[in-house]
Amino acid sequence: MPAVERKPENIVELIWPGQRSELVTLDATGKSGGAGEIFSIDSKPGFVAKIYHATTSQAHLDQYRRKIQWMVENKPELPQVPAEYQGIVQLAWPEALILRQSRFVGFAMQKIAFDRTLELDYLLNRRQAAQEGFDADYGKLVTVAFNLASIINCLHDERIAIVDLKPMNVKVYKAALYVSILDCDGFHIATDEFRSHAPQVTPEYLAPEFQDKAVAHPEAQDSFALATIIFRLLNYGIHPFTGVASDHNNYPPELAGRIKHGLYPYGKLAHKSVRKVPASVHEAFPDHLRELFDRAFASTGYSRPSAHEWVAALGIYASKHSGQMSPCSKGHLRFSSRPCPTCMRDELIHGAEVRRRSFLARVQTAPARTLKYVKKTLRQTHSSPFQAALAQAQLTLVQLAPPAPISTRNAIALEILWISGLLITYWWTR
Amino acid sequence: MSPVTGTALWVVALLIAWLWRPRQAPGPSAWILLIAFGALGAWALWFGLYAHPGEPAGFAFWKPTVLYWTLAAIMIIAPLLGWGYPVKIIFGSYFALSNREWRWTNVGCATVYTILGGVNLLVASEASYNEWVGFKFSCMITLLFIVLFRLNFVWLPILADVSIYVYRRATAAHRYLSSLF
Repeated sequence: MPAVERKPENIVELIWPGQRSELVTLDATGKSGGAGEIFSIDSKPGFVAKIYHATTSQAHLDQYRRKIQWMVENKPELPQVPAEYQGIVQLAWPEALILRQSRFVGFAMQKIAFDRTLELDYLLNRRQAAQEGFDADYGKLVTVAFNLASIINCLHDERIAIVDLKPMNVKVYKAALYVSILDCDGFHIATDEFRSHAPQVTPEYLAPEFQDKAVAHPEAQDSFALATIIFRLLNYGIHPFTGVASDHNNYPPELAGRIKHGLYPYGKLAHKSVRKVPASVHEAFPDHLRELFDRAFASTGYSRPSAHEWVAALGIYASKHSGQMSPCSKGHLRFSSRPCPTCMRDELIHGAEVRRRSFLARVQTAPARTLKYVKKTLRQTHSSPFQAALAQAQLTLVQLAPPAPISTRNAIALEILWISGLLITYWWTR
Repeated sequence: MSPVTGTALWVVALLIAWLWRPRQAPGPSAWILLIAFGALGAWALWFGLYAHPGEPAGFAFWKPTVLYWTLAAIMIIAPLLGWGYPVKIIFGSYFALSNREWRWTNVGCATVYTILGGVNLLVASEASYNEWVGFKFSCMITLLFIVLFRLNFVWLPILADVSIYVYRRATAAHRYLSSLF
């Protein structure tokens, strides 16, 4: 193994819970985010270090230090992972403070195996998921949604909220279907002994009551974002506020505006001014899930289903033994006694494709068909008795002679003479 | 449009008409109309574009009458000489009328043109200049009727034929070019 150059600034001190300290060396990984850069730790292969950017102000560093200090000492209880799944990291939770020359610079967290995981964003597009080696079906998607809801439920029990919950911040283990939430240092914490706000939000996942405002109820915000992610997971990536407006003048172009105005078209009661996207398969969801979605998107924060409710609702579908998911005639997993969403989607897409091709073919042949029709009408040579009767009915006043035995060129020559005569007549009478 | 451009366009159109002319011999009524319109056209071209200071004074009042009476004379004389009905050439032989119907159509047109020519002179001499101009242009409605008739029954079928020909050529070219790439 080639010797790695050890720079003095890469030697840092890890402070573990209970104030146990350890000197380690960091190696750059080349990965960087908005707040900091990720380093590997030479003697700790199961951990990585997040070092805040050098441009971070001292005031922010002090805030981070207090928050990370509390987080290191108060790791939340998470859902149990079976023993056969080794190395599953459900939260990129801070495990140790990192000091450089006695100055706080970042924290260490458990390493998430990126080769075993993919971003939840990829699951919203089946083709992308397949390219990443994940063959998505409704059983797996429901399980992923259930596992995500379970983690959020555990966090909420500890009065911790994610706030900036979005698919990009969530990793999914391809085989185990467990999820891992990143950027934990941005969580909102509201315990009796410690409070820390989370100013970072993403408008596409922000509840309507917090659009253009500070997030006053972080758990309600998490519930909204969770419902949005679950809806997208189950509905082929379609955002619950994507729709077709009947009145385009008042339809906000961006999702945030539609969320703010409650333009949710997938409810059990149709929305007055916005229609669903034709490719949506939400009608194949069980009534119970649809009611939860309606409460999440068409009501205010207090009646929005919590992560706990989602855990209860999704648990019965995520369990193989419940019998609530069954294969359709083509072998796709679907919600029992409901239409198969996969077949429904295939039909919608295939039907749309057939209609598109048929429309294009009709457009392409329209000029020739029109000219043929006009010609047949003028010459009264319609083969269809109905068309012939129609054409004759239009021309009952004048009986036309059979087609003239002259070519089109001859006819054009005669018409040039005729038009010349017309021009002469015009000149003589003007 | 300059006189030279106008003349050139007309000459090109006439050349095309000559090249694409039907090879069967035209009837006498067609010849007499061609000669008459050739003469009137030559007059129009000469005095309208090239001769200075223009037509003889006062001739403008006579011009519609000259045209109408020339046409009326041709329509009256041609059948008498056994040259057929010139109105067939004007309206086109696309209408399946009997000879009797063509004869009455010819007589009707000849009568209308004779009356129009006479009324033109009457209005020119008795009414004001503006009233004469109004009368003259109102007579052009007859021209409009003939053009619309011709457009519907003659030009549209030709346009349909040409469009189908162009469309087929274009699609064949597109198929050929697609096969190349």
